[in-house]
Amino acid sequence: MADYVLEVKNVDKVYGQGETEVYALRNLSFSVKRGEFMLIVGSSGSGKSTLLNMIGLLDRPTRGKVIIDGVDTSELNDNQLSSFRNSKLGFIFQFSNLLSDLTVLENVTLPRKIQGTMQNATEESKALLKTVGLESQMHKFANQISGGQAQRVAITRALVNKPAIVLADEPTGNLDSVSAETTVQLLKSLNRKLYQTFIIVTHDRHQFGEVDKVVTIKDGRIVKEEMEASLT
Amino acid sequence: MDYRAQIGIRFITRRKGSLIAASLAVAIAILVVQVNSVIFQGLYDAIVRDQINYRFGHVYITRQEDFITKSDFMLVNWLQRIPYVQAAAPRIDASASINATINGQIIRDYAVPVIGVDPVLDREASTMSQTVGDGQYVSFRNSAVLGAIVDRDLGFPQVGDTIKLKFKDQYGNDVLRRLTIVGITATAGSVGLDNSVIMNIDTLREIIARPHQTQSIIVRLNDPSKDKDVKDLFLSAFPSNADKFKAQTIEESAETTLRGFRSGIALINLVGYFGMMSSAFAVVTIQMMQVTSKTRDIGVMRAIGAKRKDVLLVFIFQGMVIGAIGAGLGTVMGVTYTAYAKETHMTFQGSLPLEVKYNWTSIIQTDIMAFILAIIASIYPAYKATKLEPVEAMRVG
Repeated sequence: MADYVLEVKNVDKVYGQGETEVYALRNLSFSVKRGEFMLIVGSSGSGKSTLLNMIGLLDRPTRGKVIIDGVDTSELNDNQLSSFRNSKLGFIFQFSNLLSDLTVLENVTLPRKIQGTMQNATEESKALLKTVGLESQMHKFANQISGGQAQRVAITRALVNKPAIVLADEPTGNLDSVSAETTVQLLKSLNRKLYQTFIIVTHDRHQFGEVDKVVTIKDGRIVKEEMEASLT
Repeated sequence: MDYRAQIGIRFITRRKGSLIAASLAVAIAILVVQVNSVIFQGLYDAIVRDQINYRFGHVYITRQEDFITKSDFMLVNWLQRIPYVQAAAPRIDASASINATINGQIIRDYAVPVIGVDPVLDREASTMSQTVGDGQYVSFRNSAVLGAIVDRDLGFPQVGDTIKLKFKDQYGNDVLRRLTIVGITATAGSVGLDNSVIMNIDTLREIIARPHQTQSIIVRLNDPSKDKDVKDLFLSAFPSNADKFKAQTIEESAETTLRGFRSGIALINLVGYFGMMSSAFAVVTIQMMQVTSKTRDIGVMRAIGAKRKDVLLVFIFQGMVIGAIGAGLGTVMGVTYTAYAKETHMTFQGSLPLEVKYNWTSIIQTDIMAFILAIIASIYPAYKATKLEPVEAMRVG
């Protein structure tokens, strides 16, 4: 039996009611194996970010189920969803979304603080920051570092709780080409090194080169699902 | 440190404008209450002080509806054996008519209160003798000290001049007596005996035909907090059913004078606390601005796992920082103002010296109230912050 870390089953997301009803996602189903590096691609307005919000438990589907690490998330209440997001998911946003009033190190340790597992958190955070080459920046405030550095901090923050899945929404969208390339390489190396599942929403599929899986979305539907075999 | 406290503190301390504005709002509210306290409580305490010093002592002994017939010598000696008693002195009151000049016109039958005092004991039991600016206090039998208002109304007679007073004795007979002015008494705010004539108690007893009688005994304590003890001791030694004595603490004896002031102070304090409510509205406004400016951060926190109650606590901690800094600042400002009032011997309307005290109980109470109010004022903005959905919050921010 396959070790699925994520199963999306018949998910619909509908905004509005009656005549104003709009389907953002329509009957989406797919699954992701542990350790896979997956892309969700599509043009602007295709529904890929909405899908990422469903997977990230930041929004609830109108119909269907999102099962993460074997847990049906539709059964969880608001507090349980928060705890679940904290322990099972890591987020990387387009705009790094670091808290500017905290230092780099404090931003990285924040998920651990929220989780209440501070034992070795600082040391592990420092080790992660060293991995992404930011050990010298850890005591700077988040608004005192460059955009590329901030995105690497955001990646570190997403990994610090050792989540089941790291979700990235256009992680290179706000970076220059050099920083974007560095970020892509970093994500891929972390995927290999940590056997970490990555689901990345992007409109630029080619930037990521070889990946395990690509789901293409158009008008809220999956129009193409490519696996490693067909990609290579 | 709890991460919610850390974020709350960082949010507000790194927005110095918001922090200063909110803390100042709290501090100014505390200052208003403190200034009110210094002025109006100081005025009230000054009146109490002067009532003690000039009129009633800490304990005021009279006899119900009559003069005291027991020996004042015996009573004073008995009282002075109580360790808390510093001094006691008898007094007797009467009234007399006197020729007065008002606005250059001679007004006859100008009624004036006359107070008979013991020249020796009264110096110990009251501070009236210290209010004589010109001349000396009552001494020999026919000496008199004029209150400054009486002196003015009489056309400013000098020390050494004589005045003629017409008394009525207890049987209704007119008694004329010529007295030598030995001093003029003037008290700040005229709260002393400025509208009275002070004379020797034995002379007055003789004039009104009440030999050996006393109207009141004023008792000065070395420990004012023991006034109830002294009162109770006296009444147990001289039960009211036998001697019909009445012993009152200053709050009781000066009740008529103080009642009005107390309600005035309550009103002023109410104004101060309304000021505090205004500061709470300022805190609400600033906290709402904080929530708006931190919407994205709230969204991020929620996305990475913070619960609604964690977001609530961030802004509650923020309110605690505002309350603590505001209370600290307000205390410094309030204590500074109190010190200034004390050092400069601040007076009310340029005359009555205020009784300025560092009322730490009141200061701490005000601080705690301001601190709690800052927290309460943060609840609504904090609640609004918890209602933000992560996706929407990150999009808005």
